[in-house]
Amino acid sequence: MQTERTLGGGLPPALRAGVLRRLLGQGIPWGSLTVLLLLIIAAIGGETLAPWDPNALNLANVFKPPAWHANGSFAHLLGTDNLGRDIFSRIIAGARVSVTVALYVIVLSGGVGSFIGLIAGFFGGVVDAVLMRLADIQMSIPSLALALVMAVVLDPSFTTVVIVIVITYWTWYARIVRSEVLSLKERDYVALARVAGCSNATILRRHLLPNVANTLLVLATLQVGQVIVFEASLSFLGLGIQQPDVSWGLMLADARSYMTHAWWLITLPGVAIMLTCLASNLVGDWLRDTLDPRRKQR
Amino acid sequence: MKMTRKTIIYSTLAAVLSFLTCLSSAQSVKPATGDLTIAFAAEATTLDPVKYSAGVDTYFIGQMFEQLVRPDPSQKRINWLAESWNVVESNGKAVIDVRIRKGVKFHNGDPLTSRDFEFSQKRLADAKQSRWSHLQASVERFEVIDDHHFKIHFKEGDGSYIADNLHLWAMPKAYFEKVGEEGFAKSPVGTGPWKFVSRSIKEELKLEAFDDYWNKTIRPTVKNLTIKVIPEDLTRVAAFKTGAVDWIDAVPPAMIAEFKKLPGVKTATVVSGNNLFIDFAEHVPNSPWQDVRVRLAAAHAVDVDAIVKAVLFDQGERYVQVGKGGVGYDPSLKPYPYDLNKARDLLRQAGYPRGFDTNCYNLTTPREPNVKEMGEAVFAYLTAAGIRCKVQGLEYGAWINLGRRGRNGPPEMDGVISWMWGQGVPGDPGTPWAGHLHSFVAGKGWGSYSYANDPELDGMIEEAKRTMEPSKRELILQRIGKLKHERVLGGLTTYRPLVTIAWRDKVDYTPWPWPGFWRNLQQIGLKQ
Amino acid sequence: MIRFMLRRIGLGGVSIVGASIVIFVISRLTGDPIVLLLPVDAPPAVIEEMRRTMGLDLPLWRQYLIFAQHAILGDFGNSYRWQTPALDLVLQRLPATILLACAGLLFSISLAVPLGILSAVYRGSWIDTFGKGFAMLGQSMPGFWVGLLMILVFSVHLGWLPAFGHGTAKHLVMPAIALGWYPVAAQTRIVRSAMLDVLDSDYIRMGRSLGTPEWLLVCKYAFRNAAIPLVTMLGVYFAAMLGGAFVVEVVFAWPGLGRTVVEAVFARDFPVVQAGVLLTSVLFVTANLLVDLSYGVIDPRIRHAD
Repeated sequence: MQTERTLGGGLPPALRAGVLRRLLGQGIPWGSLTVLLLLIIAAIGGETLAPWDPNALNLANVFKPPAWHANGSFAHLLGTDNLGRDIFSRIIAGARVSVTVALYVIVLSGGVGSFIGLIAGFFGGVVDAVLMRLADIQMSIPSLALALVMAVVLDPSFTTVVIVIVITYWTWYARIVRSEVLSLKERDYVALARVAGCSNATILRRHLLPNVANTLLVLATLQVGQVIVFEASLSFLGLGIQQPDVSWGLMLADARSYMTHAWWLITLPGVAIMLTCLASNLVGDWLRDTLDPRRKQR
Repeated sequence: MKMTRKTIIYSTLAAVLSFLTCLSSAQSVKPATGDLTIAFAAEATTLDPVKYSAGVDTYFIGQMFEQLVRPDPSQKRINWLAESWNVVESNGKAVIDVRIRKGVKFHNGDPLTSRDFEFSQKRLADAKQSRWSHLQASVERFEVIDDHHFKIHFKEGDGSYIADNLHLWAMPKAYFEKVGEEGFAKSPVGTGPWKFVSRSIKEELKLEAFDDYWNKTIRPTVKNLTIKVIPEDLTRVAAFKTGAVDWIDAVPPAMIAEFKKLPGVKTATVVSGNNLFIDFAEHVPNSPWQDVRVRLAAAHAVDVDAIVKAVLFDQGERYVQVGKGGVGYDPSLKPYPYDLNKARDLLRQAGYPRGFDTNCYNLTTPREPNVKEMGEAVFAYLTAAGIRCKVQGLEYGAWINLGRRGRNGPPEMDGVISWMWGQGVPGDPGTPWAGHLHSFVAGKGWGSYSYANDPELDGMIEEAKRTMEPSKRELILQRIGKLKHERVLGGLTTYRPLVTIAWRDKVDYTPWPWPGFWRNLQQIGLKQ
Repeated sequence: MIRFMLRRIGLGGVSIVGASIVIFVISRLTGDPIVLLLPVDAPPAVIEEMRRTMGLDLPLWRQYLIFAQHAILGDFGNSYRWQTPALDLVLQRLPATILLACAGLLFSISLAVPLGILSAVYRGSWIDTFGKGFAMLGQSMPGFWVGLLMILVFSVHLGWLPAFGHGTAKHLVMPAIALGWYPVAAQTRIVRSAMLDVLDSDYIRMGRSLGTPEWLLVCKYAFRNAAIPLVTMLGVYFAAMLGGAFVVEVVFAWPGLGRTVVEAVFARDFPVVQAGVLLTSVLFVTANLLVDLSYGVIDPRIRHAD
């Protein structure tokens, strides 16, 4: 049920224009895009935007509630924590970390996964069997357990978190690419193309890539939320991002002891996670509904 | 009835006999009755006294096993299983002469004799079974003189024996030989006021008051004790508030103020036996930390009082080298005053006018309440003074491995580390200083977590270890403390954590400091 | 058919063995457990003695063989920390995790099914949007955060439900919700799209033209068919619950397998980590296997692919 590409290569211009039109006609999720934009701005310009240094302690100013509360003040919009650090600045700093982790993870796991899937599908035989068994083994260990153990081995840090999550997610991309390559191998026009003298690289670029790109893009967008939640879980358990980096998950872990004292410490970082995931899910759904030609319009 | 002489004699005898019976029954103890459920925040990993490795393990061991000597509720050392003991010289070598009490029984009825202590000493010295064999290294032989009298002969003086309550736990030789090591660990038998009933790992320990306990006046008066293990702060507090438990050990610092106001609840805040400090990498060549002025600058840069107040909710007692009431305590030593300008000045003098960068390692696992936040605060103060901290958080396993000297590979402790080494209650710095002040000597056990290298202090620490006479030893320790303070070696002392115990009015309880670091239920019961 | 099943089981076995090697090697790389088990001032001689006694001075491959040899017979060694058999510790806590996973699954299905059906039946209306939105929200909130919020509201402020622990149904409510929250969105989508497929089919239309009441058509006939994809995915969802249980158990101090493994990782208690993770892997692989086998039964094409 795939959309066949013409032998000459590439998408026919008409179809390309149609994609854009479809995207625009679908009902752009403005809210989600704004949230994601804000996140990216926070990620890039975070340090200048935040009113306070996220790690600046102020022991005279602990447990200040958010601004709209009776004891709150606009100096600290979202209040302060048990060490007097400004929550708003820390949430912005956390956004930076989350977005950076998500980007690294998606690019790396997408890249590594696709590459492995490509190799497996292309060469087949023993290579394929070994790589797929590797994927099976990995999928049979609960991802959080594997992540925990690896995080301890590699000493928790930003790099470790990225590596650990990439190892967890590469299999998704590998499988998609592999099955595309396998089905491509069966196609007549590929055999014809080879006869006509096209190199492997050209075939891959012209035939594989367009088919797979959409699916990968949709998957990637949907995974942003998942990656952020995974990183938050790791940091919550103490094996993810470490100080002085700020992570929303870490903020939640620190806030646990003060639940009775300061409700804002345990709610606001979670709201940040929620808005980010929501935005990425909505955008992902929008992309999927428009870009993936296999989806029925429902 | 005619009063014959016989009648008078018999009635007098009867009267005297009944009077004596009344007297003796007043001497015999009322048996313990009732049930009590309490909660600990942490639990022991073992019930066998030779296999414990951390203070937490003594929480359970301390209920069932006893030693020769112990500190009483006012932290004064009193004879316990030992009736009397002293240190004598024999052929130029030290000997501890001990006489133990008569009439002490083990939980299984066996009487306590010198042979049991001989067995205990041998077991403690056996590296295959015990984790404390290194503390028995200076013992030459154990001499049993009779059932209640023995002598411990030393190759060389060992001050730690005196400091650590003469080390030996009363363990039943016959019972152990019958059930073996595993049986003993599963079903321990000691001389303590509590008898082992059952244990469910990570959940609870059940104990029963020992009716034949030797001490007739200081003993528990409740029969069945259930110790629940509830590590989560909120749950433990909730269990106490709802009445599921009537005694908890570690009230979370953030809630202590609230607890003190609760009606029908008593609290006791005591100093735990742990000592926290910040240590510096003086051993790294060309490190700024080799300069005493830099270390002094760090000492003046941190406002420990503010940290204790704001981060620890006042649940810490500041100490300078040795805690108050400890052996070697010197009231003339004052804490380094918080003086940011002086700190910056000292850095300038040392050649760092713009400060310098250093790695700062923080423990993130809450071995003590809020230790992570405390570390973050300390490092923030250092940064403010110009000692720019690159903070790295480590969980317990990684932290222990980083701090340890003599490993084969990286990473290296190359900056500042938040560390702790308990001096115990009432407190003796001998063993801790041997570990984090004496220079590191590979293979010998000195300085296993030390970055200092001061031959004068080394000599004094070794001398203190060899000295068994308490007042002589205390003088040596005081001299060490003074030099340690001047040279800022072996770490910058910060505070001793306070622990708050809470119990309902209906519970009759007196806190005993040891064994168990205040989690000791020597005197507990229900009010009638 | 038999060959298909055998092949699948064989692959599952390979996965488990592979998982055991991976976990074995990686956990041994987490650091030295000996130093954590001895008092701080223990001299090197004592440490080396203990290392020798515990067999940790042997080369890695030999350690693995010894481990595998015993593991097959069910002996995972003694926990370093508790000195009791590691497998016992782990098995004792397995029922609690399974209970939690089942409760979580029950919760998510009991939300997903009505939402999916309603969304399909009233496709395009505000009910549909609401259903999709609600599910989407669920997928955006991390389970452990939902758990923390529930504790804040229902335990700390309202005092209706106990904050941690286990024992009664009341203790199960919040952890189950926190765990089952996440997959509701995906499950709702599956139910909805399956229902839409069925509702458009011929025999439903025929039923309609014959005058059968709509609600009967929906609940009885359509749903039965729509349930098939959901049921076949149950295995996968159960496995996902097992994975998600790790964090939820930590948040709620639920005495299950996940929490034990997390603690053991921190304590470098290798035997418990190995036993726990391997056990979970076996459950994982079994659940996925059942799903694959049931697909194979339902859809013969799948048997011959791959």
